[in-house]
Amino acid sequence: MSAEEVYNRIPMLRAERGISRKDLATALGVHYQTVGYLERGEYSPSLYLALRIAEYFEVPMEVVFSLKPFPRLGSEVK
Amino acid sequence: MAGWQERWQRSQAEVMQRDMLPAWYATRERRRVLAAAAVFALALGWVNAVVAWVMGPTQTQRWIVLTLLVVMMVVYLPAVTLMNVATRGVTALAERQLDERQRGERLRAVALSHRTTTVILALLAVVFLVNGMAQGRGHTVSGSAMLHLFLALALTHFVLPLIVSCWRLPDPPPDDDD
Repeated sequence: MSAEEVYNRIPMLRAERGISRKDLATALGVHYQTVGYLERGEYSPSLYLALRIAEYFEVPMEVVFSLKPFPRLGSEVK
Repeated sequence: MAGWQERWQRSQAEVMQRDMLPAWYATRERRRVLAAAAVFALALGWVNAVVAWVMGPTQTQRWIVLTLLVVMMVVYLPAVTLMNVATRGVTALAERQLDERQRGERLRAVALSHRTTTVILALLAVVFLVNGMAQGRGHTVSGSAMLHLFLALALTHFVLPLIVSCWRLPDPPPDDDD
């Protein structure tokens, strides 16, 4: 585990919008395996790529990336 | 000239994306076997240099060197081809054809290889120094030995980043997740 771990919601956003890994990679101009490594948390993107991912999904950066694990869906509902 | 270069780089990039014999590099263990095979081929190149140095230019030496060279190429060429496909050309393609993760991986592989070749150069310097001191002033090394030594060193320098990159490569995510 990297000490500089960055968590992301790319798989969730991609699934929600029905975008394949290859389509996202083409839109971002990266290799499709890079998207896979990003999703698995094995690669942390540069600020530029992170901003482009957020822009692609039309969401603020903190919706896609976090330094802490994202809460599970429904976990905040009492 | 620029057009030819452009076409060559594009076709090279396309070849690197093809899944040629994927079973050979599907798992980390198999990729490491490929890397070990390439190291073995490089080692044969170094053995060649030692044989040429120790035996001198004799007929027996020529046959040993030629045999080792053939075995080396039989192992080296397929191993390097498959490692290039496995790493998707991280160390072979032009930098502008790589994304930021691939460029980072290439930098790490080159940095590690640089450290290794520095150690090899230092060891060679020690070997030459010790040999020179032991043999005295009049001692010379044959041109054939120097040529094989240069070939082994050049090949090591050329292919080590690819070996490092292939050795370090984690299992890639599945191609189709839809």
